[in-house]
Amino acid sequence: MAGNATEPLIETRGLVKRFGSFTALNGVDLQVFPGEVHALLGDNGAGKSTLIKILSGVFKPTDGEIIVEGRTVSFSSPRDATGAGIGTVYQDLALNALTSVTRNFFLGREITHFPGPFGLLKMGEMDRIATEEMAKIGINVADPNQPVGTMSGGQRQTLAIARAIYFGAKVLILDEPTSALGQKQQMEVLKTIRKVQKFGDIAIILITHNEIHARLIADRFTFLSLGEVIGRGTSKDLEGDDIKRLMAGGAEIGDLAKELAV
Amino acid sequence: MTQATTTRKESDRLASKGWLKSLLARPEIGPIGVMLLLFGMLGYFSIPAGEFSLNPFAGEGFNALGIRNNLRVIAQLGIIALGAGLLIIAGEFDLSIGSMIGFAGACMAMVLRWGFAIVIPYISFEGGMHVEFFTLIYIDNISPIGAIMITMCFTLFFGWLQGYIVVRSGLPSFIVTLGGLFFLRGLTEVSLRAFNHRPDQTKGATTVTELPDIKNIIDVPGHGEMERSAAKALPDADLLAILKDVPADTVASLTERLTYTAQRVADAKTQIMAAKGVKPLERALENAIESGNTVMAETIRNKIDTFVVTPTVPKEVTDIDVARAYIDTLGSARPIADFFGGDILQPIFDFLYFPVDWNTNNFGNQFAPGLYSCVMIWVLLAILCYVVLSRTQAGNWIYSTGGNLQAAKANGVPTDRVKISLFVFSAFCATIFATCQVFEVNTADAAKGNLKELEAIAAAVIGGIVMTGGFGTVVGIIVGAFIFGLAKEAFFYIPGIDGSFYRVFLGLVIIASALLNENIRKRIMGTL
Ligand SMILES: Nc1ncnc2c1ncn2[C@@H]1O[C@H](COP(=O)(O)OP(=O)(O)O)[C@@H](O)[C@H]1O
Ligand SMILES: [Mg+2]
Repeated sequence: MAGNATEPLIETRGLVKRFGSFTALNGVDLQVFPGEVHALLGDNGAGKSTLIKILSGVFKPTDGEIIVEGRTVSFSSPRDATGAGIGTVYQDLALNALTSVTRNFFLGREITHFPGPFGLLKMGEMDRIATEEMAKIGINVADPNQPVGTMSGGQRQTLAIARAIYFGAKVLILDEPTSALGQKQQMEVLKTIRKVQKFGDIAIILITHNEIHARLIADRFTFLSLGEVIGRGTSKDLEGDDIKRLMAGGAEIGDLAKELAV
Repeated sequence: MTQATTTRKESDRLASKGWLKSLLARPEIGPIGVMLLLFGMLGYFSIPAGEFSLNPFAGEGFNALGIRNNLRVIAQLGIIALGAGLLIIAGEFDLSIGSMIGFAGACMAMVLRWGFAIVIPYISFEGGMHVEFFTLIYIDNISPIGAIMITMCFTLFFGWLQGYIVVRSGLPSFIVTLGGLFFLRGLTEVSLRAFNHRPDQTKGATTVTELPDIKNIIDVPGHGEMERSAAKALPDADLLAILKDVPADTVASLTERLTYTAQRVADAKTQIMAAKGVKPLERALENAIESGNTVMAETIRNKIDTFVVTPTVPKEVTDIDVARAYIDTLGSARPIADFFGGDILQPIFDFLYFPVDWNTNNFGNQFAPGLYSCVMIWVLLAILCYVVLSRTQAGNWIYSTGGNLQAAKANGVPTDRVKISLFVFSAFCATIFATCQVFEVNTADAAKGNLKELEAIAAAVIGGIVMTGGFGTVVGIIVGAFIFGLAKEAFFYIPGIDGSFYRVFLGLVIIASALLNENIRKRIMGTL
């Protein structure tokens, strides 16, 4: 599917972010196309989280611009970003473990019988939609009223992703969705991402530390190091050791076995 | 490889949870058990010694008056527990509830008694420097609704202010409302003393007394508005004049009722006299049997069998009695005061006296006139809270604000507004509590509501509210209030133990509930 679209869904040009005298991002260009998984890779502290926080409206960039569907945008709050179709699934997922799947799915955007905070919830309709939307990307919830706390980590990821898509995300940002999960659940999440990828109209930015996962699912790669892009390319362009090397910040990794054998 | 089974695994797991287990996972199940236990205890122990009955309504605990009084205590606590509980679900505390009750009651009573004024203090230099007051507005003779509104302005503002400080500063609400606790109690005492400086007041008193019995002001035909007790004390001629305009069937039913009461009172008196007369004979009989004096025993037994008291003659029902009874049926001319401080369900309680004869005291009179109005207000508030918390968008926001503040914010929930609203609601509940009290007893006291905030929090915890927020139900809060109210009464009736043991009991229940709640919360969070 890579390269299908000519026009990027979201693009950044020369993005700079400084925290006081510290430069977290130093002129980052990024292009993400619909129907593609774009892996954002880099060592700890490279600036990945800072970049996606800018894209999702949490931080304002010091310099540079964000272009969504050809138009330059400026976000002053996460709400603005959501409104522009950028859905971010954070590591903590922004879920309330104590309440049900449905209540989490519609948190902040409940369907009610009449407007205003005291509008009665359309619980049946909400249950149905939540179940359907999660089924679309591969998870069958047995009971939409089960507390989120009783769900597996993979299911929670799916819930957060399904929620973002249902509420109009064209760009889906996933911040290390597999990092805190067991082997099986990691696969579950990757399958979910694959399903979204196949929709064809959603651009996915995937932050990961896991080279294997990136290689399995990503169509395009961008490598960050010390706040700058040090490499990019499609899955065809990059081969074997390139990814490993770039992920470590560009430094040549010697034979690991040799290094360890003191 | 059987892939189908692995993908279905999680859901299958959940489905296998039986109904019993899911019932036991309900947060209210433990508290409901304790409530039923206390209900049984109170019913059982309040039955007088020597009588045996499995009917819990046979004893004092649940006779008509017992129900009236117990439900009042429970409802009062229940009202503030709703405010406290919802706030805790949203992750915050309010320790100022008790002081808010004292403040609201005093404010309302002062406004009712002395009116409401807005004064501007300024420094005057005429005749030496001193502070003078310029009265901007002065309103006298304020109606109950006016007094309630004025009080609400103060208390709701104060609730809002506490909430605003909490969300803006990020300080723990524990500290902010602890400040509110001292501030409001002090302010109440200071204000009352200041008013009671006047020559016609008891100097230094922190109470407001001599309020009229507002809820019992009635519109008496031909006499205008007056208190019910004054109306009943009118001269006979006036009473008869009032009766003249009463429809015949009303008079007939009032007379029937009064005749019944007279008969019932006379019967009760006869019974009491009979019991009094027979009791010494029975004691003598016991002695005689013990000492083996069979002849004597036989004589006494005969005496008991033939013992008769002359039945008391029922009192004649006069037109004056009927007129007074009619005055009792007149509705209040101050419906708002009656709404908060009056009685409800009188027709049912009347029916339970005549003809049912259950709501009858030992002397044959009607026992309880009805339930306190605060019970109805509690029920209304509880229904409102239930609907809001479990059926509306606001409810979902409350749960998420307390359950995971960051998640709520990230999803666009206005968490600050949610919290501030609930601080205001807590102040509202405290004010409602005070309103009921003021109109019930027609006095106010700066010490009112002392420690109520802790009782409210305790009731919420007992009812399954988790102190860290995000978890609990309105049904639980209601049950918590029941447990608190029932425990006190139940322990009072247990023979041979100190009534204060109810506090020991409640202390243990609070800790046990907190442990249970935490356990349930962890199970739901998946960390257990
Ligand atoms: N709010 C902030 N204030 C100051 N420095 C920050 C802030 N957020 C991130 N940083 C710094 O910016 C750098 C990049 O951080 P981050 O984007 O979290 O990296 P990554 O997610 O790639 O590990 C780090 O050195 C971090 O300390
Ligand atoms: Mg990071």
